[in-house]
This record gives sequence, C-alpha cells and structure tokens, in this order.
Amino acid sequence: MSEQAQTTQIQVPASGGTPTGKGLPSEALSGGAPGATGQRDVPLLSVRGVSKYFGPVTAVDNVDLDIYPQEVLGLIGDNGAGKSTFLSLLTGYNRADQGSFLYKGTPVTITSPRESRNKLRIEMIYQQLQLARDLTVWENLFLGEELRLWGFVMDRRTMRKQAASVLERLHSKVRPNDLLGSLSGGEQQVVAIGRAVLFERDIILMDEPTAAISAAKVEDLLALVRELKALGKSVILVSHRLEDILAVADRVAVLVLGKLHCVVPNKGLSVASLVHLMFGGSTEAVADEQLLAAARWQARHGAEGG
Amino acid sequence: MATAVALPLQGREWRRFGRLLVGNPGSVRRPLAFLVVAVIASTIASSSFLTLGNLKSLLTSSSFLIVLACGEAFVVLMGMIDLGVESMLSCAGMLAAWLLVFEGLPGWLSFLCAMVFGAVVGSLVGMIVTRVRVPSFVVTLGTYWGLLGIALLFNGGNYIAPSEGSHVVFTFGGIAGTSFGVSNLVFMMLGVVVAAQLVLSYTPVGLWVRAVGSNEQAGKAVGIPTRNLKVTAFVVSGSLAALAGVMIAAWQVSIYPTSGSGMSLQAIAGVILGGVPFMGGRGTVVGAAIGALVIGIINDVIVLVGLSSNYEYIFVAAVLVLAGLQARGGEFVK
Repeated sequence: MSEQAQTTQIQVPASGGTPTGKGLPSEALSGGAPGATGQRDVPLLSVRGVSKYFGPVTAVDNVDLDIYPQEVLGLIGDNGAGKSTFLSLLTGYNRADQGSFLYKGTPVTITSPRESRNKLRIEMIYQQLQLARDLTVWENLFLGEELRLWGFVMDRRTMRKQAASVLERLHSKVRPNDLLGSLSGGEQQVVAIGRAVLFERDIILMDEPTAAISAAKVEDLLALVRELKALGKSVILVSHRLEDILAVADRVAVLVLGKLHCVVPNKGLSVASLVHLMFGGSTEAVADEQLLAAARWQARHGAEGG
Repeated sequence: MATAVALPLQGREWRRFGRLLVGNPGSVRRPLAFLVVAVIASTIASSSFLTLGNLKSLLTSSSFLIVLACGEAFVVLMGMIDLGVESMLSCAGMLAAWLLVFEGLPGWLSFLCAMVFGAVVGSLVGMIVTRVRVPSFVVTLGTYWGLLGIALLFNGGNYIAPSEGSHVVFTFGGIAGTSFGVSNLVFMMLGVVVAAQLVLSYTPVGLWVRAVGSNEQAGKAVGIPTRNLKVTAFVVSGSLAALAGVMIAAWQVSIYPTSGSGMSLQAIAGVILGGVPFMGGRGTVVGAAIGALVIGIINDVIVLVGLSSNYEYIFVAAVLVLAGLQARGGEFVK
C-alpha cells in the first residue's frame, strides 16, 4: 500500500443525508475531512508531506493535514506517536526536515517560534504551562510582546488595562496584578489561553491541557475551547483524555508511529473507536460505527420530524 | 475548664499584617525592614551612628559593595552566580592605576579601559556559560582565581599609587571629589542603583531577566533571546565590578591586588538579604543595594562600638541566616 493510501478519511454528512465513503482511501493529500463544520473553502494552514527525524528515529513521517478556520481538530495517538513533535514543527521549536506548509494557500516556512507566532498567528499552550510564576498575570500575558513607549519603555498601564479586558472576555476572576504563582492550575490555564486571545492568534495548539488540572476544572477548560472557537479561532487539541476530544473536536486526526493514520469527523465516534484507531485499527469498523450512529440519528430525527 | 482567650490578631490576620509590613518574597519592603532594624539597633549601640558625618562616611565606604551588588543582582535574578566580582574589582582597579601611573594615559581613558576590560571579561564568562554550558559557579570560580592572578602581575604583587611629588592625579576624571559636601562616589552609586532599577522595572529587558530566572523555558517559548540575555547579565556584572574597582582606587588613592578580598560573598549576601532568591526570578536592585548597605552598617557599627573587625563575619552570618529564613517563607495570603 502506498504512503498516500495509508491515510484514510471517512465522510459522514454533517446532518441528515446518506453516509458515504465507507473506509475510503484518501483521494487528496489533505488528510482532512471536509463537511464536518461547514466552512471549508481555503484551509487556514496546510501541512504537506512533512517529516522530522531525530537521528535514526522518524518522529513525524510524511504527514499531510489541513487545519480549517474556526474548527477544533483533535490530535490523538499513543505515546511516541509524534503528536508533540508535530506540534513543535508548527510552533517553529523544531524545523521540519521535509515537506512544506501553506498558510491560507500561500507557501510559508516556519523557522522560529517568533515567526510562527507573528507571521502565522499560531499560539502554543504547553502541557507544562510555559508561564513564569514569579511574574504577575499581565507580565505573563505580554511576555515577549510587550507594548512599548518610545521603543524601549514598557507601557505598563495599557498592558494592565488590556490584560483586564482579556480576562473579562474569558469570564475569569483573575486580576492583572495577581502573582501567577498564587493562582490555581485552572486559572493559570486561563492566563495561557489569554495570550492567544490577546494577540488575536488564529490557531491555538493545546498539548494535554487537562493533564495538570483537577477533574472538576476540566469542563471549564473545555468550555474555554468552545469559547475560542466561538471567537473565530482554530484549535488543535492534543489529549490522552479521549472523552475531552469527543466533547469538543469537530474532526479527529490519528497519528500512529509518526504517520497520519486517518482523519475522521467527530460524528458518532466513541472512546472505543478512537482507541481502535490509535493502535492502527481499520477505519472501516469505525465507519460502520459512525454509519450506525448516523442511521440512529436519522431515524430518531426522522421520527421526531414525522 | 479552659477559657478561649481572644487575641487581637489571629492566624490569617497575622499573615495579612505580615504581608502589609514586609510584602511578599522579593518585595523591597523586606530589605527595608532589615534596614530599619539595623539602623535602630546601630543607634542604640552607638550614639554617634546617626550623625551626618558618620552617615556620609558609611555611604561612601559602602558604595563599592553596593555597586558590586547591583551587578550581582542581575546575575542572581537569572538563576546564576558570579563569584569573580571581587577579583574583577581588584584587577580592573589595578589595570586603571597601571595605565595611569606606568603608561601615562589620562585618568578618564584609564577609567574607560578598565570598564571595557570588565565588559569583555563579562562577555567571555557569559559565552562560556551559555555556549559551552559550563555552570556559572565553575566559570566564575575560574575568573575569581584567574583575575586575582592577573591583578598580582601588574606590579609584581605590590600596590600601585602615584609616587610622591608626581604630577599624576589619582582621581580618574574627578570621580573621587565631592559635590554638595557628599562624595561623588555616593552619587555614582545612587546613579547605578536608580538606572539598574529603572531597567529592571520599566523595560522589556528587565521583565525578560526576571522571566528567565523564574522559568527559562517560558522565556524561550515566547522567543526571548535567553542566551544573549545571560551574556548581558555577566557584561553588566563585570562592568560594574570594574567601575567599583576604579572607584575604590580613586577613594584610597592607591589600589592593592587584594583590595576586593571577600567582597564577592558580601555582594552575594547583600543580594540575598535584598530579597532575591538564589534561584532568581524575583527581587529588586534597590533591595540588593539595601542588603549591601545593611552589611555596610554592620561593618560601621562594629568600628563605632570598638569591637574587633573579626566580629563582622559572625554578624553578617546571623543576618544572612535571617534573610534565608524570610526568603524561604511562602507568599502571604492574597
């Protein structure tokens, strides 16, 4: 089987209609699954044939993936599947050894975190939050991108004001002058997400955002992800908690040993089917499950309608 | 039956009161509290402590240590250490004196050469720490010995001073003079403290310094040039140590290869007393300067009460343990 044919997309209609494309090999290189959320003209970011090697190890192997505007893309895979490395290529923390990137259809290079943030408007929220606990909230929000007066003096007043406004938009009770170290894990997540909102990033990458917070706060975080989508952002969410992915993702991309195994719309999926895919399982069984779910949905809504 | 006694302040209220009084770790209020206690204790110990003459003399003789502590503060704020500042002080002072006395260079040019020497050595230290990844403790232990060795070579281990009847003026551009009845060295020291604190509080570079000390990965993630910033911290530390060397030469009208002996640890102690934790990330330059001044007060009051200077170390140790205890304490409640 060719490399291309290994990536599979399953097409299930967003609403009603007859499910089609049962376990079809991908026709396009996109690896995406148009039709899940409705706005599918030009991908915001396209990844084409991207690979990353660490010595003899192939961490990311010829991955093609499209990220569309205002969608939540779940990225799953077993440990060592290449999820974090893939994200590091998008953030510019690592450079791809092969392949190319298209931003709104235009070829671009990603050579540094600064370029990724400023040119491609990508913000990364790490598993271990990359925040400084000895700085205040507003200092963390603006770190590296401070507003300045006369080119070299920080405009502290405006930064505090803007920080307060962003925290309010995210419905947070955190205050700009609070010391980050005095905040709970969930509140610190809000600060990390606040950076993306503050600087109007288009794509937000979240690596295991629920790993470090209490179970009670997980729903708050998922609500924030939905909020980001409502604000017009695209989110790539990496999580081992598959129920979180199912709760918020529009599509789910599955990496297996560095390769993109498949991209499936989040319709009728279950944790069991995602686990099946994570270990390289056939997409056909999942498609059957999705077809069944779609048929049930259709029957239920048909009955309600009739 | 036990009766509950209503205390005026309990638990949380005590902590709130404590926070109001001395602030959170890193706050300048903590070294200020030490300063207030030191001044009160010194006034009680010696009636001549709070006299204008003594205060002027105290500020002048503490100015070298305060300048050293300001440079050291930038290094410690980033989670590193510079053990070599005292040798840099001696070496740069000897260099300036040697250029002035033996090479006939003008005072201001000798001063400038010493500053450039401090900056160059600081940048080399920074490069070794960041590029070769040798811990700053090891590299600066090297500069501690290396620069002391070079200082000894300038005049065969002897001091340098203008010979009697010589036309050479040992003021390095007049820095040892007085203005408004106060030594220029005090104004220079105040200038350094204010400038360094303004950089730390009001410029992005100051914010980056604290951020890198707090979480270097966070700094890298947002694109802060962490390696260059660390090199800059050593350049600042080296330059200010060189400045202190020239200041001390101008004040003493002579310079010894061992003039800075013991001052590295005193500067580090001042920084810790000033509220900068050893791991960096928080604290102020003003706090470090106050910490250095407290050490200066201890030295001063020992002389005033007629104790042997050998007691200085014991007092500094006691104060340092107290400073360590306060730094260990967590944040007060919000």
